[in-house]
Amino acid sequence: MAQILTSKKLLHNLTICLLILAVVMCLCTFVGSQRISLLKALKGPGQSPGYNIDYEIFIIRLKRVILAAIVGAALAASGVILQALLRNPLADPYILGISSGAGLGAVIAVLSGITFTFAAGSPMAVFAFCGSILTITLVWYIGKSAAKSQLTSLLLAGVVVNAFFSAVIMFLTSIAKSDQLRTTIYWLMGNLTDKSSPVLIIASVSVIAGITLMFTLCNKLNAMTLGDQEAHALGVNIPRVRLIAFAVSAFITSVAVSLSGLIGFVGLIVPHAVRITFGPDHRQLLPLSAIAGALFLIMADTAARSLFGQEQLPVGVITAIAGGPFFLVLLAKYSRKVSWLK
Amino acid sequence: MKKIAISLIISISICVAIAIIANHYKNTPKNAPVKKIPQRIVTLAPNLTEIAFGLGLGDKIAAVSSDSDYPPAAKQKPTVGSFWQPDLESIIASRPDLVISLWFEQQKAIAESLSRLGIDTIILRIEKIEHLFDAIKKIGDATNCTKQAEELTEKIRKQIEAVRLKCASSKKPRVLWVVQTEPLRIGGRDTFLNELIEIAGGENAVGFTLQKYPQIGTEQLLSCNADVIIQSAMSSENIEAQQKTAELFWAKKNSLPAVKNKNIFVVNADLVQRLGPRLPHGIEIIAACLHPEILEK
Repeated sequence: MAQILTSKKLLHNLTICLLILAVVMCLCTFVGSQRISLLKALKGPGQSPGYNIDYEIFIIRLKRVILAAIVGAALAASGVILQALLRNPLADPYILGISSGAGLGAVIAVLSGITFTFAAGSPMAVFAFCGSILTITLVWYIGKSAAKSQLTSLLLAGVVVNAFFSAVIMFLTSIAKSDQLRTTIYWLMGNLTDKSSPVLIIASVSVIAGITLMFTLCNKLNAMTLGDQEAHALGVNIPRVRLIAFAVSAFITSVAVSLSGLIGFVGLIVPHAVRITFGPDHRQLLPLSAIAGALFLIMADTAARSLFGQEQLPVGVITAIAGGPFFLVLLAKYSRKVSWLK
Repeated sequence: MKKIAISLIISISICVAIAIIANHYKNTPKNAPVKKIPQRIVTLAPNLTEIAFGLGLGDKIAAVSSDSDYPPAAKQKPTVGSFWQPDLESIIASRPDLVISLWFEQQKAIAESLSRLGIDTIILRIEKIEHLFDAIKKIGDATNCTKQAEELTEKIRKQIEAVRLKCASSKKPRVLWVVQTEPLRIGGRDTFLNELIEIAGGENAVGFTLQKYPQIGTEQLLSCNADVIIQSAMSSENIEAQQKTAELFWAKKNSLPAVKNKNIFVVNADLVQRLGPRLPHGIEIIAACLHPEILEK
């Protein structure tokens, strides 16, 4: 029961999803531990800080919702790309060493107490970003230098580097002081805290540019899912596509991880859920996964910060608890519909 | 290919421009408002709350962290989340003009978000007794209570000196301060706990270690010949039950003089390990464990 994707259908789906995203973003800025009124908030900041509390809280929530959208979109899009490149349904953005590389960077930042920042961000973010980029470059070169199938050696290199860096993280955590320890664990669990506007703008521009760039590769990714030989016969320059897609996906995942720590589940499950609902064509799968990832993380984060009043749960807890059952239901409902899943 | 290159160049230049603008604004100070005396203070940790109350700022405190339990008036104040995770929205909703926080990452990030909104913040690093006196002075200067800060500092110093003199004797008991039992971690020589031990007239049973809170093995434990074992309670409720559990745990290691003479004490960390105005009282509790013959328990 294959459905052919036309550009009209793609635009139609995309517009609906973007509208839903906009509505959800607006609604979520009104949920939180304090009640605010929109009319008061729209009056603007006033001449001194503390003049319009509603406005300040509204802006903080808006920034947080935007951050959740960016991180969710980045992780989901990256998941789509990696699942296509590695032809492995279990691939998630962290599979090739990004999680342990970023974690190691963050732990080093906390333990060394360095205060270097970039664009009014935090040192942990900078170190985590550098850590993940360096790790993924290492994994790429190890994978490339193997004689056999590049995909297998890439996966193996990723697993080994992950294990090695996780061990280093465990060692460093064992010698950390108690509040450093708590900071590290808190960061590794994934969290979305208030970031400065420059950081948010840079992150948004990077992630949107990255997703747009990957969108131009979607035709070729469709061909590559058929297999290397078939794709080559269709005229796809496989090594080049692989390099660009891999690099861009690694970059946007590193941006996401440096902002929010390690939020699991989004990059793995959202692409599958969208694929089950809308079909496997990457020209549709990529943008819709990005939007779905943004939606999922916005709602999970809103739940995390408002379920218990002033207490905040880590976002990763909500994504796993909510995402798991939801995905199982989706799988049961749609596996009968889609023939290629059998 | 050309499209890719153009879009990359555009996005990179946007990012670089924003980074430069952000750094520029960070360096130019905004028009500094006239320094007013803070009327609504928010404290994000229990010891900061105690210091603020100790300086007589009780009426001016708008909100405290949820675990601030002393003095009793602090329990009546509105809360803004816990020590480990303060809630940014509640802090803003309390309309503070001064927020006092500690320096570890979660609280520092909140303090930085607040100063971006134009709210004055003080970030304090309080890890040792000297830091406590610096912190009191800083809070006093920021709230126009310099005189009260000096008086409070003098009072605490005098009380600590009094305990130190009372406990100064030729025989210093060897003390093992256990912060965690599984695995066994102790307070080393370069910690605030060691300062408490030394003022109370004791000596750390373990010598110099690289880590501040090292994990020690059974060999080192049995050879340290501790005369007194002090254990930090896991929670402030049910200290008696924790004392019984601790005695059971240590009963196996009866070659240690501390276990033979039943000198095992579980102490309430809120009283003893809180770096605030009640510090001398906490030191007296420790001194009573080390020198029961000098002080009443």
